[in-house]
Amino acid sequence: MAEKKLDKKDIVNAFWRWTFFSHANYNYERLEATGLVHSYKHVIKKLYGDNPEEYKAAILRHMQFFNTEPHIGGVIPGIVLAMEEQRANGAPITDEAINGIKTGLMGPFAGIGDTLWQGTLTPILLAFGISLGAQGNLLGPVIYTILMFGIMFPVAYICWMEGYKLGADGVQQVLAGNMLQKIITGASAMGAMVLGALSAQFITTKCPVIIQLGAGEGLVELSIQETVLDALFKGLLPLVITLATLWMLKDRKMKSTTVMLILIIVGVIGGGLGILGV
Amino acid sequence: MTVSWFQAFLIGVVYYLGNIGTPWLSLLGSISVVYKPLVAGTLVGCILGDPVQGCIYGAAINLPYVAFISAGGTAPADPGLAGTVGTAWAMISGVDTTAAMTIALPLGLLGTMIWVTHMTLDVTFVHMADKAAEEADLDRICFLHVVPPQILMFCLCVIPATIAAKLGGEAVAGLIGMLTGTPLRILQVIGSLLPALGIAMNLRSISRPGTLLFFVAGLIMVKYLGLPVIAIAALGGVVAYFYTTLLYNGAPAAAAAAADDDEEDF
Repeated sequence: MAEKKLDKKDIVNAFWRWTFFSHANYNYERLEATGLVHSYKHVIKKLYGDNPEEYKAAILRHMQFFNTEPHIGGVIPGIVLAMEEQRANGAPITDEAINGIKTGLMGPFAGIGDTLWQGTLTPILLAFGISLGAQGNLLGPVIYTILMFGIMFPVAYICWMEGYKLGADGVQQVLAGNMLQKIITGASAMGAMVLGALSAQFITTKCPVIIQLGAGEGLVELSIQETVLDALFKGLLPLVITLATLWMLKDRKMKSTTVMLILIIVGVIGGGLGILGV
Repeated sequence: MTVSWFQAFLIGVVYYLGNIGTPWLSLLGSISVVYKPLVAGTLVGCILGDPVQGCIYGAAINLPYVAFISAGGTAPADPGLAGTVGTAWAMISGVDTTAAMTIALPLGLLGTMIWVTHMTLDVTFVHMADKAAEEADLDRICFLHVVPPQILMFCLCVIPATIAAKLGGEAVAGLIGMLTGTPLRILQVIGSLLPALGIAMNLRSISRPGTLLFFVAGLIMVKYLGLPVIAIAALGGVVAYFYTTLLYNGAPAAAAAAADDDEEDF
């Protein structure tokens, strides 16, 4: 069997397909899944074109839920490209190994990537652009745009290519012993911690209810959020909301769109009655 | 100033081009560039014949969204709609920049409904792609990934934005007035709840023993220690290193010893 080699052109091609189309069909069920399949189109054809069974398996493998920050997190599809290449050449890389790498790493890279790109770089560049733009200086938006592309495109490209190199060099070692299990377990632990941090940061729901006790001079105002919920456990609401959502998805096997509808209904009722606020 | 239907349509197209996920300018060119009111406002200014004024309004409208982050498949607000239609309305009525910000804010919240709609309807195309995957039809998956969702997105973005830009702020002011208060709070609450979906989906796919404990640890680090996400990721890496070392290398003996220690402590 001739060795199937991905050359640089294939890797770069997949990178550009990812850069432009990763979110073209972004959705509440699988998020970037079809984006990844779309990015890998030519790679899958090249690696598995002569093997209908493996060809289909590769497509199904990447139709699974995937979501990460697409620039710095481009490391993950880069690594997976190398894993696919080795698998096509007969290395014993299982579906679980590839899925494990993807699901284990996507959380940490989403947290780190979004914090660096949207949380750090963007506000700095915007502050600069807005200060010029507010004075009617068109250089504000122009320089902002140039800097954004000029910084993030190289970062994304380097992350993708380095990911591939990492995968190509490291896969053999990783496959030896229990290294793979170790990486997946470690990345999952780290990922879960980052997700906990993100839930605390982004689920900003509060309970604005204030109970008035007594009357006249002895009137005491009790804020449920501060005196009850925060006293019990700060972050109780984000925790409960996430766990309830997870329970609906995992234990009740509800469709993500159904869960989204339920969250919207909770928002309408809670917000309407004034039980929930931000 | 009046806006022609053609100008209004172009404003709608700018809104579409900036919406997260449109492929024409790359993902970065949408969410990080045209989505930003600073850039969107300037483009709307070009369409209406006064780029400098558009830039000034755009910069002001952008202020509340400087720290905007879309993560986990959710968008807490829609700076794109605020930046395009908000700038158009401000230019039509010639208000000052503070008033422009005030008009644009409810637009930014209404825009999240467009986001939720497209994120929901796009699921249909994934299910169609699932069928194509069963037939190993890669070309069809790639078609389904780009063409139908983008036609849908184009309609979802351009139609409301064009109408809103054409009718102008005054005609819609009544509507916006009706929205302030409870409806606006409801939109904010929904926006604060939805990130849970993306996070829970990610947790479900990790699904390993101890996942929830690590999750709670991350949450506590933000709520009680006020640590930034990067620091928590780094700490998570350290914890993961020791956790896996104990789990896999630490031979049964070490684990047993640790268990013994625990017993003595109690």
